[in-house]
Amino acid sequence: MSEYALELDGLSKDFGGKPAVRNVSWRARKGDITGFLGPNGAGKTTTLRMALGVITPDSGTARLFGRAPDAAGMDQVGFLPEERGVYRKMKAEDVIVFFARLKGVPAGEARRRAHVLLERFGLADAAKKKVKELSKGMAQKVQIISAIVHEPDFIILDEPFSGLDPVNQQLLEDIIREQAEAGRTVLFSTHVMEHAERLCDRIVLMARGEKVFDGSVEEAIGRVPRQVVLAAPPGEPMAETLAPFGALETLEEREAETVWRLTLKAGADAQAVLRALVEAGVKLTRFEPRRPHLHDAFVALVGEENVGDVTDREPVSEA
Amino acid sequence: MRASYLIARREYLSYIATWGFWLSILAVPVFAAIGGALPGLIQNSQPTRYFAVIDETGRGLDQVVEQGLEAQRREAVRDQLEGMVEVMRGEAAAQEVLAVFDQDPDGVSYLDEAVEAAGLGEAGAALGSERRERVMVDPPARDMAQLRPYLTGERMIETPAGERALFAALILRNAPGAPVAIEYHSTNVTSDSVKNAVRDILRSHFREQAFMERGLSPADLNAVMAISPDVIEIDARPGAEAGAEITRADRAPFIVAIAFAFVLWLAVFSVANMLLTSLVEEKGGKIIELLLSTARFHEILIGKLAGVAGVSVTLFAIWGAVGGGLALLGGAVLAGMNPAIAELLASLFDPGLILAAMFFFTAGYLMYGAIFLAMGSLCDTLQDAQTLMGPVIWTLLLPMFFLVFSFEATDSVLLRAASWFPLWTPFLMMARLPTEPPLWELAGASGLMIVTTVLVVWGAAAVFRQGALRQADADSVRRFFRLKKKGA
Repeated sequence: MSEYALELDGLSKDFGGKPAVRNVSWRARKGDITGFLGPNGAGKTTTLRMALGVITPDSGTARLFGRAPDAAGMDQVGFLPEERGVYRKMKAEDVIVFFARLKGVPAGEARRRAHVLLERFGLADAAKKKVKELSKGMAQKVQIISAIVHEPDFIILDEPFSGLDPVNQQLLEDIIREQAEAGRTVLFSTHVMEHAERLCDRIVLMARGEKVFDGSVEEAIGRVPRQVVLAAPPGEPMAETLAPFGALETLEEREAETVWRLTLKAGADAQAVLRALVEAGVKLTRFEPRRPHLHDAFVALVGEENVGDVTDREPVSEA
Repeated sequence: MRASYLIARREYLSYIATWGFWLSILAVPVFAAIGGALPGLIQNSQPTRYFAVIDETGRGLDQVVEQGLEAQRREAVRDQLEGMVEVMRGEAAAQEVLAVFDQDPDGVSYLDEAVEAAGLGEAGAALGSERRERVMVDPPARDMAQLRPYLTGERMIETPAGERALFAALILRNAPGAPVAIEYHSTNVTSDSVKNAVRDILRSHFREQAFMERGLSPADLNAVMAISPDVIEIDARPGAEAGAEITRADRAPFIVAIAFAFVLWLAVFSVANMLLTSLVEEKGGKIIELLLSTARFHEILIGKLAGVAGVSVTLFAIWGAVGGGLALLGGAVLAGMNPAIAELLASLFDPGLILAAMFFFTAGYLMYGAIFLAMGSLCDTLQDAQTLMGPVIWTLLLPMFFLVFSFEATDSVLLRAASWFPLWTPFLMMARLPTEPPLWELAGASGLMIVTTVLVVWGAAAVFRQGALRQADADSVRRFFRLKKKGA
């Protein structure tokens, strides 16, 4: 029995001679929440399709639960694709039951689970409504329920937060955590680093069809130099005092003070910087060590020119 | 299998559980009835043509025309009476009834007695009372200057139905080298019915006169005009009894086979369209991505084909049950009156034809269904689909032209050749079946069709796979053919 829900080894795929994915290898450990991140065109969807056996790789192998993707393995996967929709003329409850039954859940049980999940997602009143009568956010929740109703061991969500309002984004985050706590493996892609940073045990970063990082969130953030934002009245000996600690750049010059940003060298410590400034008699008006975020790590790892649509925070969507 | 079954079930219910489906079921016989009755309806909905004849010859030709019209009307009523009695009582009874009717050789004064003798009741009561197509009226004026306002509708003539415009005026004049010249005036330049009717009546009149001038008495003339060969059609097909005459029942399988071919075509066309629109909806609505995460390509393809096939089976079952029920019920009643009707209806339930229809429908449905599914997988909208559908629609329409002529020309070399084209085999071979084509032809064309069906389904599955994953679209097809063109 493999300890991984998904193992990818050297996956490559070309479309019309154009490489979409190149030699990608990584693993999703059972019970982990893994973030699969990258800008548009990075090769995420193609990698996921190969992982699920929807398309065949040109080279490399994908293993689901330790074996090649097959029907039995697929039944244990709940997949929410990025390009998604549901039958608009069907009732919300019927859509969920249909997809549950496709995954092998008996009809009666599927209906019972649909009721429970619709209640959990605040859609109990919409159960008998046709999908075309629901708002975009409600329809998206129906799609998410359809992906998890069969209680899969492995949940793959491609951009699950897009289209949801902040309240429902929070609800989905809670659901993802609950699923992981129940021992399920969760893999999700997002272009909003905030969600990944809060949720993921580990992340896999893709850019230009290649894997550029694979590790924990802390490890990713650890790749980014830490920074300190400082302010002091003009004429203070800032440059001389801070030169040993890293690179200093002026952010803003005002009449009463100047604002600087110090990017710390490897091994430098913000406390040592503060101590040096106090000892030098600098009259500090601001001292603000900045904790880097996953977005900074992402920019550092894939390069500013490849960031694309990846953002720090999700723009607020209408439900 | 589970996924295919569930997809088929969903597909099936999505059509069956709609009002549109049941309305369309109802619509087909309604439209078929309208289509069948359309020529009659158009004919009957034409306004009565009132026309005047001005005879400048002084030979009483206007009266000849009037009598000729009456005679034509009498013939029409006689034909209707004969047809009606023949269907309901048989040929012998029809001859007895006509003998009653013919007691008045120039008019319809014995119609009531004939209807009573036939026991037609209400159905016969309407005979002879229907609206007349053409009515000759007295000319409201004798010269064209005065007649013109009547023809243009500026002035009206009095008729039993009220004031009406004059449809046509015919001036009959003496002419050198011809018995008479007909000058026809009308504002309607397309309808020839009045002109032709008057010309035919006068032509018959002058021919009769010519015969009589050459010494034939009216009785002789009638006897001469009645001379006609007695045609006996003997069935010379292998297996037919020696000297057995060809009856309507013998012709029925040909009609039924062509009707089956039309129904097959109609069913294939409508259900294949269902597949196309359903897949375009799923593709455009991004549902296909979600389906692909739960089922494999072949499961989706099989499920969709099976679901819509279920819809067509339901269609056939309902039409078959209703049509068969009506045929049995009506047949039982009519067979009591005329046994030939029972023979005719029995050919509708020929198990051989029904089995062949099922076989050809399956192949036709799979070929066209798979093609339409493949096209649907390439399109996000119906507009995209329409651009790809053109060649397929034409391929599907062409056998219709062959079917129209197939009854009269079942042995046409062109029809035989066309029935070998695998995409047309289901319809054309179906229509040819009662002609008992050679076994090698039937087996060869069917084998070719089966091989083509397998290839088409295989190719469609490959296209479907590319289309569903958005690795190909309608533009890919255009690019493909553009490249082919350049390559050529």
